[in-house]
Amino acid sequence: MLTVETLKEFGADVETGLARCAGNEGLYLRLVNICVQELTANEMEAALSANDLEKAFEIAHRLKGGVSNLALTPIETPVCELTELLRHQTPGDYDALYAQLMQKTKELEELAQ
Amino acid sequence: MAKDKTSFRITEEKRRILIIEDEIINQEMLKESIADHYDIIIAQTGEEALDIVHEEHETISVVLLDLYLPGIKGIDVLKKIKGDPIYAHLPVIVMTSDYEAEVECLTYGAIDFISKPYPPSEVILARILRTVELSENRDTIHWAERDHLTGLYNKEFFYHYAMQLDLYHKGMETDAVVIDVNHFHTVNDRYGKTRGDEVLKHIAESLHELVTEDGGIVCRSEADTFMLYCPHRTDYEAILQELTFTIEDEEAGESHIWVRMGVYAAVDKALDIEFRFDRAKMAADTVKGNLTNPIAYYDESMHDAEVLAEQLIADFHTAIREKQFVVYYQPKYNVQQAEPVLTSAEALVRWKHPKLGMVNPGVFIPLFEDNGLIQELDHYVWSEAAAQIHDWKERLQLSIPVSVNISRVDLYGPELVDNLLKLIRINRLEMEELILEITESAYTENSKMIVKKVEHLRQLGFKIEMDDFGSGYSSLSMLSTMPIDALKLDMQFIRGAFNVRKDTRLLDIMIKLADAFELITIAEGVETAEQVFTLKQLGCDVIQGYYFSRPLPADEFEKYITSQNIMRPVQRNENGRIAPRDDYSYNALHDEVTGLYNYSAFDVLFRDADQEHLAILIADVDDYDSIKQKGKAYADKLICHVAQVLKANFRSVDYICRLTENEFVVIVTHVTKANKETVFSKIDKINRSLKTPWEDIQPVDLTVGIAFSDRTKPGSDVFKDADTALQRMKEIKNSGYSVF
Repeated sequence: MLTVETLKEFGADVETGLARCAGNEGLYLRLVNICVQELTANEMEAALSANDLEKAFEIAHRLKGGVSNLALTPIETPVCELTELLRHQTPGDYDALYAQLMQKTKELEELAQ
Repeated sequence: MAKDKTSFRITEEKRRILIIEDEIINQEMLKESIADHYDIIIAQTGEEALDIVHEEHETISVVLLDLYLPGIKGIDVLKKIKGDPIYAHLPVIVMTSDYEAEVECLTYGAIDFISKPYPPSEVILARILRTVELSENRDTIHWAERDHLTGLYNKEFFYHYAMQLDLYHKGMETDAVVIDVNHFHTVNDRYGKTRGDEVLKHIAESLHELVTEDGGIVCRSEADTFMLYCPHRTDYEAILQELTFTIEDEEAGESHIWVRMGVYAAVDKALDIEFRFDRAKMAADTVKGNLTNPIAYYDESMHDAEVLAEQLIADFHTAIREKQFVVYYQPKYNVQQAEPVLTSAEALVRWKHPKLGMVNPGVFIPLFEDNGLIQELDHYVWSEAAAQIHDWKERLQLSIPVSVNISRVDLYGPELVDNLLKLIRINRLEMEELILEITESAYTENSKMIVKKVEHLRQLGFKIEMDDFGSGYSSLSMLSTMPIDALKLDMQFIRGAFNVRKDTRLLDIMIKLADAFELITIAEGVETAEQVFTLKQLGCDVIQGYYFSRPLPADEFEKYITSQNIMRPVQRNENGRIAPRDDYSYNALHDEVTGLYNYSAFDVLFRDADQEHLAILIADVDDYDSIKQKGKAYADKLICHVAQVLKANFRSVDYICRLTENEFVVIVTHVTKANKETVFSKIDKINRSLKTPWEDIQPVDLTVGIAFSDRTKPGSDVFKDADTALQRMKEIKNSGYSVF
């Protein structure tokens, strides 16, 4: 079960995230759940393995929007890096960053269960 | 949307914010941040957003735009909004994490930014609020001009505000009201401008107080005209009471301030705002000077008149081109000799409209006076008349001077003198053969300029007659300085002198006065032998009116003047419907009890009406014998009541006559396929009204027969057909109506 406390333990900047939700905890937690679902939808993996970097950028950018607004800091760092790499299609280790992102996502997902 | 009265304000409405954002988490956050304060519309894509902007831009206060959108990009949405003059005023706040994009957005007209990730909710709220205020102030500064004297809105701002109110209150019934002060100029004249201004301020304050608490807005639209736009209400009588008051002044004495009111209730919001107030104004004008019943409501009959007016204006130029306007001539007789002698004629215009039939000049002249078309029409009549005088001179060797009307606007035109001289020249006329009739009221406005112009015309040799004298505009002292040759006494004035209580003292004074200034007096609208006799006794020189002849088309007039028998009234019973009566010379064309036209008038009116586009409706009051048994007073009151109900339901272009003691006939004119049905609905309405007891009058039943001229066989008589229909109804002993 996700709670404000478990999210704090996870490393999220809950206060900032909540401030963006006008202090509504219920909404905040519901949005985090939606975010987890988006992260685990594996769309990104498909785009990366097809080497469709444009598509991958679009997905990363959208994920970044949600993750940063919810202030899920541990996920925010890899998703931002990934987005910036993809934005300029700089050659780099996408897979490693993606793995890191998925690792953190998994941690969050476990908290949610 | 709030519907109660007190929320008829923009300030109390939630502004609407369009959020263009595809990410659900962001959407939800924004909603949570601002939904308590704003109505929200969400667009997921740029395409969807542009559709919404197109449909609802009038009620959107701010657009929040995410730059990264699927499909059309955010920046292109911004360019489209800002590039379209209709939407460009919409303030757009861009939401982005990209600082470089901010500069680009600024150049395309974004008003502000919200960074991503978002700032706390209250920061977002504050930025939106600031944007709303900024953009509305900008709009308001553009419009906010108040009337300096009263502090009320001025007309432009008022209209603008009213339209905004409509957008926020789409489903609310709303009234447009015009309030006019009767004879305000006399207040200024009598008490001075300062006092006059105080009166206006007083009215403004009272109005403001009375209506704003219930959510109305008020403005002063012109000098002494106020307009009101408010949620529908029914207490206008009370408002009017509050606005009527007395000014007291030691020197100038006391005076009542009377206002009149025109109400267009539950306006049709599809109409332009100006038109709604035109309708209210139209209603207000119907009670001009009416102190006993100073409120009028815009209704169906005014709507009919308005529709007719629009059509007439639209058809005007075709009518001029196709010579649908026909000039009629009404003879004027010199009565100061042993036998009356025909001296001249007045040119009067008639309109033979191809669809509407004969249109009454009382309908189209005021209309064309209002919009300036009268100048063209006048010029048309002058040239027709001038050509006719020439023609009669050539063919008949008869010089018949004809008087033509010069409207007020004509006098302002620089080309008036040239135009008239040109007509004289090309038709080889003498100056005194084209007489100019100038209405009395023209002299009161800018009178110096007018007097100078008329003087010039007179010096050139034109004869000038002052028309409508006694209709209440000029002071008698003006007569000494006016460049005129004759005074034409107003028709209403003549009628007034000869109504039930005959009082000709004023008539006597005016004729003597004219005599003192060596002016000829002409009486128009003279209908009876008694009037002719009295006017002659009083010293009136010239008489024009139905007593001698109705206005005649040129060919009939020609026959008339060449016939031997020109002193007697024309025979009006050719169509045989009403047999000649012994008491034909009885007093007037009006029924004494009801003031309606009587049977003599009916004959004339019926013959003059356009036979192809009319309906005849004969209505008998049932059981009149038993009604009479209740006494003459009761019977007369009942008949007057029926007359009133008929008058209320027919248009001013229809003629209502009382034929016999219990029989009315209505000549419904301008009947077309399209408006035929309204005749039936009018009868239903009349019957419903009469079935309701009124004061001490018992419910009245009418038996009605109707015939339409387009259903009548050629050569037969639509009146007879209506009569047949009536008899048929009577046979089955049923009140109601039957159509031939």
